[in-house]
Amino acid sequence: MLEIDVYRRQGAFALDISLSAGSGVTALFGRSGSGKTSLVNMVAGLAKPDRGRIAIDDRVLFDPAAGIDLPPEARRVGYVFQEHRLFPHLSVRQNLCFGRDRLREAERTVSFDHVVAVLGIEPLLDRRPAGLSGGEKQRVAIGRALLAAPRLLLMDEPLASLDGGRKNELLPFIAGLSRQFTIPILYVSHSMDEVLRLADTLALIEAGRLVVIGSVEEILSSPNYASLTGHGEAGAVISATLAETDSRYGISHLRFPGGVLKVTQIDRPFGTPVRVRIHARDVALALHVPPGLISVRNQIPAVVRSIAPFDDSQIDVMLDCGGAPLWSRITSEAQAELALEPGQAVTALIKSLTITRGDVSDRGNGQTGALPG
Amino acid sequence: MDPTWFTLTPLEREALSLSLLVSGWAVVGSLPFGILFAWLLARRSFPGKTLLDGVIHLPLVLPPVVVGYALLVLFGRRGLLGTPLHDWFGITIAFTWKGAAIASALVAFPLMVRAIRLALEGVDRRLEQAARTLGCGPIQSFFVVTLPLSLPGVLAGVILAFARSLSEFGATITFVSNIPGETRTLPIALYALTQVPGGDAPAFRLCVISVIVAFAALLASEILARRVRERIGG
Amino acid sequence: MAGTRLIAALFGAFLTCFALSVSAAEVRVFAAASLTNALNDIGKLYTERTGNTMVGTYAASSALARQVEQGAPADIFASADLKWMDYMTEHKLVDPQSRFNLLGNTLVLIAPVNSKLGAVDLTDKTDFAALAGDGHIATGNPDSVPVGLYFKQAMERSGQWGKVAPKVAGTDSVRAALVLVERDEAPIGVVYATDAAVSPKVKVIGVFPATLHDPIVYPFAALTSAKPDISQPFLDFLRTPEAKGVFARYGFKIN
Repeated sequence: MLEIDVYRRQGAFALDISLSAGSGVTALFGRSGSGKTSLVNMVAGLAKPDRGRIAIDDRVLFDPAAGIDLPPEARRVGYVFQEHRLFPHLSVRQNLCFGRDRLREAERTVSFDHVVAVLGIEPLLDRRPAGLSGGEKQRVAIGRALLAAPRLLLMDEPLASLDGGRKNELLPFIAGLSRQFTIPILYVSHSMDEVLRLADTLALIEAGRLVVIGSVEEILSSPNYASLTGHGEAGAVISATLAETDSRYGISHLRFPGGVLKVTQIDRPFGTPVRVRIHARDVALALHVPPGLISVRNQIPAVVRSIAPFDDSQIDVMLDCGGAPLWSRITSEAQAELALEPGQAVTALIKSLTITRGDVSDRGNGQTGALPG
Repeated sequence: MDPTWFTLTPLEREALSLSLLVSGWAVVGSLPFGILFAWLLARRSFPGKTLLDGVIHLPLVLPPVVVGYALLVLFGRRGLLGTPLHDWFGITIAFTWKGAAIASALVAFPLMVRAIRLALEGVDRRLEQAARTLGCGPIQSFFVVTLPLSLPGVLAGVILAFARSLSEFGATITFVSNIPGETRTLPIALYALTQVPGGDAPAFRLCVISVIVAFAALLASEILARRVRERIGG
Repeated sequence: MAGTRLIAALFGAFLTCFALSVSAAEVRVFAAASLTNALNDIGKLYTERTGNTMVGTYAASSALARQVEQGAPADIFASADLKWMDYMTEHKLVDPQSRFNLLGNTLVLIAPVNSKLGAVDLTDKTDFAALAGDGHIATGNPDSVPVGLYFKQAMERSGQWGKVAPKVAGTDSVRAALVLVERDEAPIGVVYATDAAVSPKVKVIGVFPATLHDPIVYPFAALTSAKPDISQPFLDFLRTPEAKGVFARYGFKIN
């Protein structure tokens, strides 16, 4: 458990953040200059807060009140930088073992062969960093940080300087890191795509302040943070599991707490956890659906939780589908006709065609986010 | 060709070996200080930093004779430091090759510091940061990351200092005079020959020897630096 | 336009400097370093008597010989030994007709005025290496400078040059050796009696027996390149009682 409580005056604003991060991947998301990298540097010991406290489990890294300020080399916090920062005068193997060699025998809990296998860098071991591609360099950088057996892994936009192909190459590696090596990861990003695919917990940072921290689904499903997350359009993000695929019709079935979602075929192994984005404007509501008469494949039973106007002519209805949140945007005219009320049972209609491959991403955590009270 | 053309006279051998001894020790002895001051100037800020920079560069702009005279005042037999050194420790520096080495080292020091400082500044500090996060203390990270990466520049500084100290004359002759076998380095031997009628031919030979040695030093530095640059991989 | 005019004017002024320096009747004397003080005084007297100026350049006789050989402009050459005058004569750099021996000197052993060393009776048995202790003996370069040559001779004649040689700090001129002893850089030195006399910071602790070295003789001569109407008057002046008086005052022996 990482506990951070820091304050620092820097330039135009003051950084004042207090958060706790547990196991798994915690994403720090925010605009450039919002303070994410500063925060991470403070955890690593490369920057100094004016006051506060930083601790991992029972080990205090920074607490001036108690006279503690561990230098970076004493913190056992791994750091994967945006620009790999591999040592050019050492081979890949020497780079990988750099931190490891400085540990005592008993502390070397991460297996060299395991890391090399997971990252797929066996053929690169005797080469120099200069000859590697961007993706290869970043993999070595990740391996180097892991092999130093850190208690916490910091990653500062490690994929930012890579092109799309390289990113896709690396995302699965990073996605599995937290589980494979059982260490918590603090992941800085300004790409929501990365956050969706990697993070369990999301912390939104704006102008040096923590706006909110919670599960990815919860935060992305709430309209309150739309402007910050860049998800301007109202919608829900749901955790689901790929149950089966019917290739006759090109349809995949995603199982989630509210039932089954039929979506455009996804080529993934069965049981893959995924996150599904369902735009509010693609969700229609019906008080009653006669069976066999509607083309819409997804007919999800739901309960109305709240109703709020979006603007003069549109209404946002928040629904509860067996615990999973769902948003529906309907016209004021429709609401005038249907007269929906909180607590009412309805059926949510979602055309499977509206859920495209782009709306489904790998990685769910098997939990759904709790609905905001 | 006359074989005596290539063999050295005892005078030449003495001057050459003395020059190499004096310059070698001058460089080896001042290198740790060169690295230290270069690091201080490149990586630290502290009150009086500009002053320190100026003092280090003084021998570069002062006439070498002034440097030699200052050394005489300090380390001569009756010098401020020379007296206690002689009376308490029995150490004499005047008229010895050690004195010549000190004079050479002092005059060449600014060149060494400049080159090393430039090299250190060229090393990406973010790499040092990365080393810190991997468990490397600041001193260790200097020796394991910074110094190896700045090696071509350090080498350049060392060779430059060596070449400068080989050619050092003014400070040496003012401080330790011209003692055969002790302080009569190549430049001083050459000068002595120009003070005597009939000294032209041997003076010319010494001239040629000096040029060959300097050239060899420059060549060696270029080859070494290139090898090191390749190893670093840029 | 104005720029080039200015440059031309400056250049012209620069050139006239050379012209001016040659037109005055000036006698240029290259003399051994030990003659510095005496000749400077005589030079002033010469100007008072004749209105012409004397310009003196003082250094080791060997260095001066070389400079003249290389073409340095001079009218009169005065050496501290016969060797270098002979060299000049051989190389036809001086007019043998104008040559004459004027002065003599004594070789002395000096120490800093505050030195603990007392007077030493110098003989061919005196252990010079021991006198120097752990320091050096300051004198002119024993390979070329006259005072060093005399000293080396003395040591060879007393059979101790081998022991003494490593302890010698050879300087460019006798005056430089004097300075080393003044500063106590060297505990003892070998210079001329006349040099010791002009320095209050050294004391004479011994006089070399004349048998240990060739007589110290100062020959004077006019250079072959000199104009006799410039050089001869000065050479004549040197032999006047007035000039000899000056030399005597400084301690030189007069021939």
